[in-house]
Amino acid sequence: MRAARAAVAAAVLVAAPWLVAAVAPGAQRYVLHVLIFTCLYAALALSYDLVVGHVGSLSLAHPAFFGIGAYTAALLVTEARWPFAAALPAAVAAAGVAALAIGVPMFRLTEHSFAMGTLGFAVVVQIVATNWVDFTRGPLCVTGIPKPALGSWRAATLPAAYWMALAAVTLVALFYRGLTTFRLGRAFHAVRDNETLAAAAAIDPLKYRMLAFAIAGALAGGIGTLYVSYVGVLCPGELAVSLTVSLLVMVFLGGVGSLRGVLVGAAAFTALPEVLRMAPTWRMVIYGLLLLVIVIRWPDGVGGVLRRRAPAR
Amino acid sequence: MPLLEVRGLTKRFLGVTAVDAVDLAVDAGELVSLIGPNGSGKTTLFNCVTGLLLPDAGRVALRGRDVTGAAAHTIARLGIGRTFQLVSVFPRLSALENLVTFLQQHQEESFAGRLFRLPAVRRLEAAAVERARHLLDSVGLGARADVPAGSLSYGQKKLLAFAAALMPDPELVLLDEPAAAVNPTMIEQMKAHIRALHRAGKTVVLVEHNMDVVMDISERVVVLDHGQKIAEGTPEAIRRDPRVVEAYFGS
Repeated sequence: MRAARAAVAAAVLVAAPWLVAAVAPGAQRYVLHVLIFTCLYAALALSYDLVVGHVGSLSLAHPAFFGIGAYTAALLVTEARWPFAAALPAAVAAAGVAALAIGVPMFRLTEHSFAMGTLGFAVVVQIVATNWVDFTRGPLCVTGIPKPALGSWRAATLPAAYWMALAAVTLVALFYRGLTTFRLGRAFHAVRDNETLAAAAAIDPLKYRMLAFAIAGALAGGIGTLYVSYVGVLCPGELAVSLTVSLLVMVFLGGVGSLRGVLVGAAAFTALPEVLRMAPTWRMVIYGLLLLVIVIRWPDGVGGVLRRRAPAR
Repeated sequence: MPLLEVRGLTKRFLGVTAVDAVDLAVDAGELVSLIGPNGSGKTTLFNCVTGLLLPDAGRVALRGRDVTGAAAHTIARLGIGRTFQLVSVFPRLSALENLVTFLQQHQEESFAGRLFRLPAVRRLEAAAVERARHLLDSVGLGARADVPAGSLSYGQKKLLAFAAALMPDPELVLLDEPAAAVNPTMIEQMKAHIRALHRAGKTVVLVEHNMDVVMDISERVVVLDHGQKIAEGTPEAIRRDPRVVEAYFGS
């Protein structure tokens, strides 16, 4: 039963470009565009939740890793003429190494100081991206980033870009599940819930925090690569701290530390502003009010509500 | 060579000397109690031995190997299990998973093996689950295996924490007030568990205020007062020692 439902859901997701074309032919481009953003945001939110949800460190540096990956890939494919297939792992590595390097001093801080320290790092990275004009082109933006290609195949059409984004979020979700369950998940959660007791259980808290932080950073770098390859342009504004706010909304209103919750949160809070375009003037006001209502009504996130509605099988 | 050797251990907090040049040697297979009035430095001594606190002076050796200043997870890895005075379990994990968590790091720490649940790691997991079930049964929590540890009663959490400390089969077990704040029946249970552990050849050091428990099960008692070791000996000798009577009942 459960497997059958999952198969139907997978089929619908894969067939979405045709379904959208059949249902709303005039709006196919727009709907697919929103779906691509939803997939990329969902993948980014999942990577973020590895740190905030599973080792319990409130990092505000995620836009920096997303940006480091995005700039690495964008500059490699435009300036150095690297193929996408080589730029992607380079971007993943650059963001992962940056996370490791910044994690060493940051994890000497705890709680609020850690949040402030990572926020500082995010701000510094954006300032560098804006002002190091010779290297990043600053506010002139990196333009003409080619669509992702693997060999002779190029994700030039919208459905192809959608399938790439869908594949990305699927991979990240599988990876997320592997990391957050079984022995790794237990070690992460032990560190999150009681660091002293975790150490008594021979778990090295710093090692597991660094592991989650570095993997989250590397994944964010990979998603940044897919993002700039799809959009074609990279400006310093993409690294803004406000991206963290969006991620926090998705993760905490969806259901922190829960695969399903974060996916629901990312889908809802990427699609919601688009749906609200029907009321253009009041759009952001309604959005803000909805967030408030959700926080008050379902403090554990909307993912938890779905879980309660569908009792355990 | 003693299993645990503490020499001249000193720990100060903002000018207060919580542990003052304490020497302590525990041989393999001994059951030693550490007693003393509140604030006499017993838990601080435990925390220095298990790596949670860095001593200001002195050294801690395990089987002759200097472990002074080693990280808490490293010392746990070397075979010291402990419980905490304020009962500690992982509240969101089930009772069974709590126990498995205490063994898994001793079995392997391979990232790929865990991520991909490789057969070798799954076999270790199955072995850990089996041992956890056995230990849960032995402390009478077998029926609560799948309950989140946070929803257990205080006494049950205490038993769970005790079983968790035993999961990796440590040579040395440090128990911080195992009989505090539990009902008389559970005190008897705890005594029986500690005795069984001792009979099984494990070395046990406990901090305890309940004198009935201490005098009943200990082979040797060490008394701390204001961070200093003031007496050491058999329970009978300690009971008669004027310095101990002074520390407990004096001005």
